[in-house]
Amino acid sequence: MKRSITTMLAAGIAAAFTGHAYADNETIAVLTKNQTNPFFQAERVGAEKAAQAMHAKVLQYVPTQPDSIPEQMSQIDDVIVKKPDAIVMVPVDSKAIVPGVEKINAAKIPVVNITDHSKGGDFIAFVGLDDYTIAKETGLAMLKAMGGKGEVVIIEGVRGSLTAQDRLRGFQDAIKEFPGVQLVASQTGNYQRLQALQVMENLLQSNPNVAGVMAANDAEAIGAMDALAEVGSKALIVGINGTKEAIDAIKAGKILATGSYNGFGQGCIGMMIAIRYLRHEAVPSNVTLPTTVIDKTNLSAYDVPLDQLNCPTWDQVAK
Amino acid sequence: MSSAAAPTSRLVLAPELVRLGVRLLAVIAIGVALSLLSNAFLSPVNLLNVLRQAALLFFMASGLTLVVITAGLDLSIGATIGLAACLAGTAIKATDEPLLGVVIALAVGGGVGLLNGLMVSLLRLPSFIATYGMLWVLQGLTYTYMAGSTVYGFSPGFRLLGNGYLLGAPIPVLAMGLLLLIGTLFTQRSVWGQQIYAIGANPISARLSGVPVKRRLVLVYTLSGVTAGFAALVFLARLNSAEADVGGSLTLPAIAAVLIGGASLFGGVGTLTGTFVGALLLTLVLNGMNLLHIGANWQPLVTGVIIIVAVGLDLHGGRRRA
Repeated sequence: MKRSITTMLAAGIAAAFTGHAYADNETIAVLTKNQTNPFFQAERVGAEKAAQAMHAKVLQYVPTQPDSIPEQMSQIDDVIVKKPDAIVMVPVDSKAIVPGVEKINAAKIPVVNITDHSKGGDFIAFVGLDDYTIAKETGLAMLKAMGGKGEVVIIEGVRGSLTAQDRLRGFQDAIKEFPGVQLVASQTGNYQRLQALQVMENLLQSNPNVAGVMAANDAEAIGAMDALAEVGSKALIVGINGTKEAIDAIKAGKILATGSYNGFGQGCIGMMIAIRYLRHEAVPSNVTLPTTVIDKTNLSAYDVPLDQLNCPTWDQVAK
Repeated sequence: MSSAAAPTSRLVLAPELVRLGVRLLAVIAIGVALSLLSNAFLSPVNLLNVLRQAALLFFMASGLTLVVITAGLDLSIGATIGLAACLAGTAIKATDEPLLGVVIALAVGGGVGLLNGLMVSLLRLPSFIATYGMLWVLQGLTYTYMAGSTVYGFSPGFRLLGNGYLLGAPIPVLAMGLLLLIGTLFTQRSVWGQQIYAIGANPISARLSGVPVKRRLVLVYTLSGVTAGFAALVFLARLNSAEADVGGSLTLPAIAAVLIGGASLFGGVGTLTGTFVGALLLTLVLNGMNLLHIGANWQPLVTGVIIIVAVGLDLHGGRRRA
């Protein structure tokens, strides 16, 4: 008798301290797009860190063929069979994923959508950033640094992809705010470093007086940077993603700025929302992370290796 | 005049020269059109850039040409470049020894090629399947090893391989010329080269005539791998970085360059010069689209039409039937 009262007291005290109504050790499945883009690695690490801090387990699912829709769909089937307590996912394709999400809903597994909006299905919440806003803010930063005049080139992303279209619109609208700036060329680099390098090389032949280059992602920005360096051009360059290489390039003064996508933060917050939902705590249905343009002035906060980053606290998120 | 019997070198060259001529004409036609439409096209800088861009594609496609001549296909070249570049790049960063990177890249490329060759010759796997499976294996290894990271920042000395100039020409272009020369001598003037054509034209009669088919097949796939390893080094030097998917997007263009250049998937025909012209054609098209500011949505259409027209011209214009 005594022992069981002590046990109950101990459990009660423990519960009071942790403030959890339910037991720990939930299993959360995390689905990301590919293993090649460091951005998704940052998301996975963020999700793991958050889970670790909240005593939950993570199952990672990544397509072996990057951005493969059929693979992600079959991973969804696997996940449903495994029946984790919740799912955090980045859809490879916003439209193709919808039947998959509906299957998850039918299996009654709560799911959080991060990074790319799915065009259907029920989610507990969406955590992400707005491609359009990041591109526009980053573009504006460059145009201001150019003094509001000069020739500008846009290196676009994968033609047809939603992120590329939104970033292109963001860049174009930034340019519209500076009538002294002239858009002389807008060509695609397909989000690839080599193609951006060669495209920039070609464009420099027809437009040698380029003063600014807006690249849809960091890989393209760095490719363009190499091409510009070869001819000794002083043009300013901006990219999007906030990868380590871009941050190093900003430190070296070779590119001006990069729009931070905060993959780590998205992973953290997506996981935190999933776990809090399972523990019947209040969660917002939409978290849009603030846009940050990383440049020389603020890069020290971002120049940290992934494993040393810490997830934001819930109070920071909830504001 | 063109005969299907076992060719002497002279007979092999004549119809080939005609077909090469037609393709060269296509390239010249595009060049003329571009020079009229854009005053930036004919500048020496632009032309050298185009040649350098074509060189990268050519390195990938050169070993592949030999494979296609034997009626095979090597789908793993892009992934080979990825693995070779990442391993070599990491080694160079860790030890500061570019030479180590060179050895690793060529060894990885050659090793992968050797495995492909053994699968095709000893295990008798169709080359499409063997190299496709190898592609997945290599990608898996590279993606897991790199975990989404990039290795970057190499010494200026090493980077000369991609960015340097010698005698006014970019080093990759000179390397391409050298490879073209050596390769053409190998395929057209050596016994081994003739044996490779024979295997492609008719493997059974080649074997009956004493050609060591299995050994030659292993040779061509290994060469395909080695040239991919070399391409990896040039990519590393040119891009100053290596990521897991480097080279992946160029596999199909490399195959296209080989086929546009006159090689046939049925084997027995094809030359390195043809592949060079094919690579040049593809690079010119992209260069032209950039210079003329043709929008991204139109680019695939333009590329496809030009490829079809160039190959169609060959099939109906260049080839003579006896």
